[in-house]
Amino acid sequence: MPTPSIQVDRLTKRYGKRPVVQDLSFTVNPGEVYALVGPNGAGKTTVIRLVAGLAFPSEGTVRMLGVNPHSEPAVRRRLGAVVEAPAAFYPYLTGRGNLRLHGRLAGGVDEARIQQVLDMMELGNAAERKVGVYSLGMRQRLGVAAAMLTRPDVLILDEPASGMDPLSLHLVHSVLRDAAGGGSAVLLSTHHLDEVVAYCTRVAILEEGHLIDEVNLLDRRERYRAGVDEPHRARALLETQPWIRHAAVRGQDVVFIPAEAENVGRVAGLLADAGLSLYELTRDIFDLRGYYRERIANERPTHSGVRRPPDAGADHEEEPT
Amino acid sequence: MELDKVARLASVRFSLLLLVLFPVLWAYAPGIYHVYDFYLVSAYQVPALSLLSSMQFMLPLLVAISAAELLGIEIANGTLQTVLLRPVSRSQWLLSKLLVVSVYPFAILLVFLVVSLLAGAPYGYGSFVGGTGLGQAGLLGQGTMGAGQAIAEVLRAYLVAGLSLVPVALLSLLLTVAFMSAAGGALATLSVLIFMQLLVVFPGLTPYLLTTQLNAYAKPVANMGWVVALIAVYAAAFAAAAVVLFERKDF
Repeated sequence: MPTPSIQVDRLTKRYGKRPVVQDLSFTVNPGEVYALVGPNGAGKTTVIRLVAGLAFPSEGTVRMLGVNPHSEPAVRRRLGAVVEAPAAFYPYLTGRGNLRLHGRLAGGVDEARIQQVLDMMELGNAAERKVGVYSLGMRQRLGVAAAMLTRPDVLILDEPASGMDPLSLHLVHSVLRDAAGGGSAVLLSTHHLDEVVAYCTRVAILEEGHLIDEVNLLDRRERYRAGVDEPHRARALLETQPWIRHAAVRGQDVVFIPAEAENVGRVAGLLADAGLSLYELTRDIFDLRGYYRERIANERPTHSGVRRPPDAGADHEEEPT
Repeated sequence: MELDKVARLASVRFSLLLLVLFPVLWAYAPGIYHVYDFYLVSAYQVPALSLLSSMQFMLPLLVAISAAELLGIEIANGTLQTVLLRPVSRSQWLLSKLLVVSVYPFAILLVFLVVSLLAGAPYGYGSFVGGTGLGQAGLLGQGTMGAGQAIAEVLRAYLVAGLSLVPVALLSLLLTVAFMSAAGGALATLSVLIFMQLLVVFPGLTPYLLTTQLNAYAKPVANMGWVVALIAVYAAAFAAAAVVLFERKDF
């Protein structure tokens, strides 16, 4: 088992007596993209700062590439991070000048690499302009460029795409996806649920400093949805098949995970043989936004002061017993 | 890098403007005789007049503001976090700031001295009857004073003045770390200095106060060892406290 790139164990952070993060544990492995989502004030930024070594835990531990980033700052040679939105730079230096400074602080980066990250973030034409005149989106892109400068093993980004236009947003997400594809571990906080669902490995949903759910999107991406006339019978039937790993009812549909993608074609025949009518068979695109809304609503007390029951959401998926 | 940042600070530019204007205005101010009870007779007396009028309030304030801004602007702009995300140790980074703010009082006093001497040009740079105001004989002196002796007295006094401002700069940096803001650091430093000045009601404490050392530039040379040791203790204590606090600070 390889050492996790980021290992957070029972992390708690209090300011005074007020807990901001409570008993949080998760790991991010090389090649994974781990997203922290949650409403404003849920503790996402605090977690990012604790993991990056800018803030100190009240309890629990943070390890980056196997070491404590607070006591061994040298590990940050392998870290690329943006913890401000917009990313903070010296306004009187040019974009290139700021990246040179970052390169020096990181122990040395050659000019070719600086040009490469500027081009990658489509800032080549603005490289000689002072950052003070950059737009919000340009500063955000320069932030990602600075984070990518040293080809880091660990990327930590707080709201890397806030304030960006759709094209820049797509660019940032594709850069992060490529970084993970190259073996970097990526930890980010975001509100862009629709974008991250396409490439994140896991999503942690935070509410009031607690981890209320961790969603494995790799599993979710392998899911298929069958619209049938009798979903409960269809689920029972699918569950008995050795080539189906998991099946559950969601509304009028059955959602299932085949052991292999090529097994999907066998489902139509199986259901027809059992006398079930199949209206639709398609890949199930996970509705992270809907799921997130439901989980947060379930965590929050209703007007009567009690939390909603877990099946309060409209699209709740019945797990098999 | 840090020196470049100092040159860009608004407070440094404002300080330089004041330090250039101040000696020019004071050298020809009509009320000097009524306040100090003497007439300027030599260019070497203008630096004394500049120090006498500014060491109790203006210079400590300017030093405190610039020292606070040097760190405070990095906190306000978010560049402090950016730097700390790189493989730089916190104490190493803060020590570079501490070094710069320790040199800063000498730099501004050098400007102050040069402008003061230039402002006094019409009074002449030759021998004169009287004193520089920065030696034991004060401004009235003990007969004729040569240019060499006058320059030596002025340089020594400015050097001691610079030294006594170093703990003020370090205190300001310490309080900026504590309050995480330039305004908070500068104002807290000013408050501490005013509080210390009020402590003269405890005569036993007076010789040990930082504010007492701000007048050390006019003290006899024989007392200088004690003054330097005391200033060094203040400087070391403020610097060490700043590093310890900064090492455990959440950003």
